[in-house]
Amino acid sequence: MAWEGIKAIFEPKSVLLVGATGIKERPGVISPALFTSMISNMSSSYKGKINVLDLSGRLSGAIKNLKDVPKKQDLAVLTAPPELALKGIGKLVGRGIKAIILPAGGYNDLQLEQLFRATVKRGVRVLGPNASMGVLNTENGLCTAFERGLIPVRGKVALISQDSDLGAAMLDWACFHGIGLSKFASFGDKVDVDEVDLLNYLAQDDDTGAICIYMEWIDEGRKFTDAIREASKRKPVSILRGTGKGTGRDEIFDAALKQAGAIRAKNIEDLFNSGIALALQPPMRGDRVAIISNAKGPAMLAAGAIERKGLKLAMLSEDVKKTIKSRYPGIDVNNPINMMSAAGAEHYEFTLEKVLADPNVDGVMVINMLRSRILKPADLEVVAKAAKKSKEKPVVDVTVGGEDHVLVRGVLRDRGIPTYDLPEKAAQAMKALYQYWQVREKVSEKR
Amino acid sequence: MAAHKKVAEILSSIRENGRRELLEHESKKVLAAWEIPTTRVELARDAAEAVKAARELKYPVVMKISSPNIIHKSDAGGVKVGLSSEMEVRQAFKEVVDNARAYRPKAKILGVTIQEYVPHAREVIVGALQDPTFGATVMFGLGGVWVEALKDVSFRLAPLTADDAREMISEIKGYPILGGIRGEPAADIDAIVDVLQKVGQLAYEFPEISEMDINPLFVFDKGKGAIAVDARIILEEES
Repeated sequence: MAWEGIKAIFEPKSVLLVGATGIKERPGVISPALFTSMISNMSSSYKGKINVLDLSGRLSGAIKNLKDVPKKQDLAVLTAPPELALKGIGKLVGRGIKAIILPAGGYNDLQLEQLFRATVKRGVRVLGPNASMGVLNTENGLCTAFERGLIPVRGKVALISQDSDLGAAMLDWACFHGIGLSKFASFGDKVDVDEVDLLNYLAQDDDTGAICIYMEWIDEGRKFTDAIREASKRKPVSILRGTGKGTGRDEIFDAALKQAGAIRAKNIEDLFNSGIALALQPPMRGDRVAIISNAKGPAMLAAGAIERKGLKLAMLSEDVKKTIKSRYPGIDVNNPINMMSAAGAEHYEFTLEKVLADPNVDGVMVINMLRSRILKPADLEVVAKAAKKSKEKPVVDVTVGGEDHVLVRGVLRDRGIPTYDLPEKAAQAMKALYQYWQVREKVSEKR
Repeated sequence: MAAHKKVAEILSSIRENGRRELLEHESKKVLAAWEIPTTRVELARDAAEAVKAARELKYPVVMKISSPNIIHKSDAGGVKVGLSSEMEVRQAFKEVVDNARAYRPKAKILGVTIQEYVPHAREVIVGALQDPTFGATVMFGLGGVWVEALKDVSFRLAPLTADDAREMISEIKGYPILGGIRGEPAADIDAIVDVLQKVGQLAYEFPEISEMDINPLFVFDKGKGAIAVDARIILEEES
């Protein structure tokens, strides 16, 4: 039942949206306008069945009375303020609801206790209160955020944010930069569902390839680090921490995260950049990176970045160099490999395939410059095609620039290749892929 | 299990004494029971006992003041090293006790400890504490200025795997000093790993040890081991 409840939070077949259009607007209260905006967000994105209950009985087409709520809804999103919510929550639970999301905050200790007894004690899972961004699932279109629909494209990165505002900002970022997400959750005041539950859920979620977390502090330290260790056996867990106001020692928290196998992100950008690589590509089994480019400058920047991140430039084996050279004599086959400006799709495909097959190479950074080159974005499908043949080694793609990068991303993202607009970001992502390999070796050992 | 019982007995005898802080020789008794290599030590309440202990431990010996009120023994003029005769021991006893009285007139002085002398080696610190969020935690750092001025320390939650211990040793900035620089032989990293794991296990099995440190742990060249030269254990306040 407990597990079913967590599943119901992300994968409900039916959702009941509960609010009160008659309440007065004031700070800290989810206003009728926000409630109706959530209804319209959900109506346009969610694929399951939606029922709306207006406790004020005004909204046309909405259910006006608790007792008319259809039985056995999977999930209820209860936007009403504490007093009103607590009045109806017992009846809601009686209708067979599996899980409840509470976007509104403002519960005092007594009310929290009441809430706990009415829900969690009776086997209903609760996210919140104060989970104002709620959850998002790009697979079924579930989006309980109410301010505006921040639904990124579908992808394999799952995002958890301890902080709702930063959660909203990160969703905005993901939408703007075309980062594909699987799920999102912010959990607020944790009367029930906490980061451990979310981590356990996402660890077994097949739509999620990597779990990215923004967090500040945690009370049950060991439970959390154990959950990270377990999750890391299946998929990478990357963590960005806000520090400075914790009740304990940051350096111990940081050491505990590292020991458990978490990969640390330096900032939001790094969390996402590494996150997409971790979600889409296999871990890198060594530190030897090959660079394949159609221009010299970006390749040199990439080579420097690779070394600064503590990775190495791979020494290609003589066989591979000879094979490439005999087909394309114009290519400079010493890593970083420069295929020169005339390189087209066939050059990329052939070279990438050969380099990926080289036992001296653990991963490849492909650089493709479009401007003043003959390369067209669609040509780069071959990067995904060649990468697919080598399931064990990661491939990341760089198009230095702005619009050109967006064009290439449009071709490669849905084909499972992470793309970057700067070599440094790609190098950092490759470092994360190497770190995850080391983590996996560590956590899968018998202790 | 036998080790656990021995340590539990030592700790409860301290409690019965109405104390929370173990004296150096008591802390070392705990380490020895836990099979952490430590210098041999005897408490001597007067000069005659000091001479007897020195004879048993074999000259040369080290003498340190023993007082629950004096933590920084060197600052109090309470440490003498390389004592190699009965005369020197008697003389040192008087000096050490006089110095301690002058340093802290109200200190309760139990006598001195006579300790086996070990040749100087690279110094590191191994500590443990109970973190309010994470519980038993192990700390590692190089001795002296590295820890105090540069805060060059690393942490891991106990219990530690050997890999955890190795990682926490190699992630401090001063690590090259242990690896051996300027033609120096490398330090015995395996011996540090062993001490880190044992200290971790001790703090994990005894949450009532709220704080402990081995400072310094002397680390000899590769293959030659390590030994606790000073140690301090503090128990949690009884609730």
